[in-house]
Amino acid sequence: MECRVLSIQSHVVRGYVGNKSASFPLQVLGFEVDSINSVQFSNHTGYSHWKGQVLTADELHVLYEGIKLNNVHQYDYVLTGYTRDTSFLEMVVDIVQELKRANPNLVYVCDPVLGDHGSMYVPQNLYPVYKNKVVPVADIITPNQFEAELLTGKNISTEKDAVEVMDLLHAMGPDTVVITSSDLPSRLGDRFLVSLGSQRQVRPDGSRATQRVRIEVPKVDAVFVGTGDLFAAMLLAWTHHYPNDLKMACEKTFSVMHHVIQRTISYAHELAGPGRRPSPPQLELRMVQSKADIEDPAIVTEATVIS
Amino acid sequence: RFLPHSPRCRVLSIQSHVVRGYVGNKSATFPLQVLGFEVDSINSVQFSNHTGYAHWKGQVLTADELNVLYEGIKLNKVNHYDYILTGYSRDTSFLETVVDIIQELKKANPSLVYVCDPVMGDHGAMYVPENLLPVYRDKVVPLADILTPNQFEAELLTGRKVNTQEDAFEVMDLLHKMGPETVVLTSSDLPSKKGDQFLVALGSQKIDGSKTSQKICMDIPKVDAVFVGTGDLFAAMLLAWTHHHPKDLKAACEKTVSVMHHVIKRTITYANEMAGPGKRPSPAQLELRMVQSKADIENPAIVVEAKVLHKSSQ
Repeated sequence: MECRVLSIQSHVVRGYVGNKSASFPLQVLGFEVDSINSVQFSNHTGYSHWKGQVLTADELHVLYEGIKLNNVHQYDYVLTGYTRDTSFLEMVVDIVQELKRANPNLVYVCDPVLGDHGSMYVPQNLYPVYKNKVVPVADIITPNQFEAELLTGKNISTEKDAVEVMDLLHAMGPDTVVITSSDLPSRLGDRFLVSLGSQRQVRPDGSRATQRVRIEVPKVDAVFVGTGDLFAAMLLAWTHHYPNDLKMACEKTFSVMHHVIQRTISYAHELAGPGRRPSPPQLELRMVQSKADIEDPAIVTEATVIS
Repeated sequence: RFLPHSPRCRVLSIQSHVVRGYVGNKSATFPLQVLGFEVDSINSVQFSNHTGYAHWKGQVLTADELNVLYEGIKLNKVNHYDYILTGYSRDTSFLETVVDIIQELKKANPSLVYVCDPVMGDHGAMYVPENLLPVYRDKVVPLADILTPNQFEAELLTGRKVNTQEDAFEVMDLLHKMGPETVVLTSSDLPSKKGDQFLVALGSQKIDGSKTSQKICMDIPKVDAVFVGTGDLFAAMLLAWTHHHPKDLKAACEKTVSVMHHVIKRTITYANEMAGPGKRPSPAQLELRMVQSKADIENPAIVVEAKVLHKSSQ
């Protein structure tokens, strides 16, 4: 498999978020990963302390120029996630547009990180950039419910609302949308949350169809950082292997997440000791230890085709 | 076999980052992670690609910025490492800050192993600023536990020329006296018994803090290509295999050199394919086939035998 990804995300010295979360699993699955580090921090910002440096939009451009001057700016995928800076995000859009001209089959996988649980945790002025410039060039997006509502201006109270929101997102650009988590009630009870996916497809006979799936995902009693980045990277990988089968791609992706998270939680509790809440360092994803699950995830979450 | 969940496997690697390709941290991180090591990485630079391409662009980390990153790790009380790994550096103040960090990390964990590739030059010429030599000789090498100089770097550090195998033994013993218990001369001009298609590499490991050392010798097939990043891969894999074989340099070197062989062969084959018949591959085409070599990294078939030479006393 000769598949090259350009991933533009954070780098942390210690731990697994951004490029640290995305690169190893993609490499283990055989993808060539070129990575531009948008920041270099000691660790993620959920620790008591964090220190480091950020890349400016100009510096991003300089790095891309180097790639271009050598005539190696051919990519099959671009992957982006958490950003705090509008000019940086706009530079990313310019780069994606140019890369799409160089390879019209390029797939842009975008996690439109804006916030969660009803509030934004990035500067508000990123919202119009995502809505008007980023999402229109994306092919696969992985918003949570809050981000999906923000981007479309429509609230999700029922599954029908979610389907309409995903259709609105399709109309904005991406053929594949996965709402990674929602407040919708799961038919398996309150220990589960509901994720939804929607993919515009072209059938062998040339006609168009939309495959929609619902996934019941076990809730976990812990706050993880970097799981969204791992999710987007693994969705990239599994939609690459199953480009017309969102059900299968989601089952693999959500299953990998489950294995990594279970391993992480067990280890974190071991380190913290009985009755104590694990700390952010203890909760770092057990990425390296999960190699076998990343390579060949046993399916533990089933996706239901809903229409 | 190798236990990936051992608690004594956290590496701090301070090396370059390139967006595209495999040098520095890009070369070291994936193979170490694949072998189950936790790798914390500080990127000393971020460049588009290595400097052997027609063009390269990017930014460097200053000594102050390096300190700031280390401060973050320290403030969170997670400055505990089992290994440190360093390679190519161009800046004396950066290198001196690295030394300070290593000294502090060794105080935090006296069992820490510092694997150092003292990159200064090759084939008789330096390719870093000259003022790095005293820093390596007087400050860095004394802290190192495992050192991977080529012949030229070993000669520079000791002030002695290597013309015979005996010279090489004496130079490695001098390097032991300067600090590292394990020294691998990754390449030399010494004639190989297998002929001129092979180069000679040598290793020396002090035995149990005594005055004796085990010396080994390997004949490594030469390759007709210029690779970048192979030294970084070598140091990383030597870290991994000496971790698994701490008192058996022969086994550690056989695994390390074998991994190198598999990765290089795969890379050359692919590069020649991409370049086409009769054409020399470009730097872009010669990037190591790292990701494609995962199985060889995990479990390298041994293709090189290291000979144990007579044990010598210093």
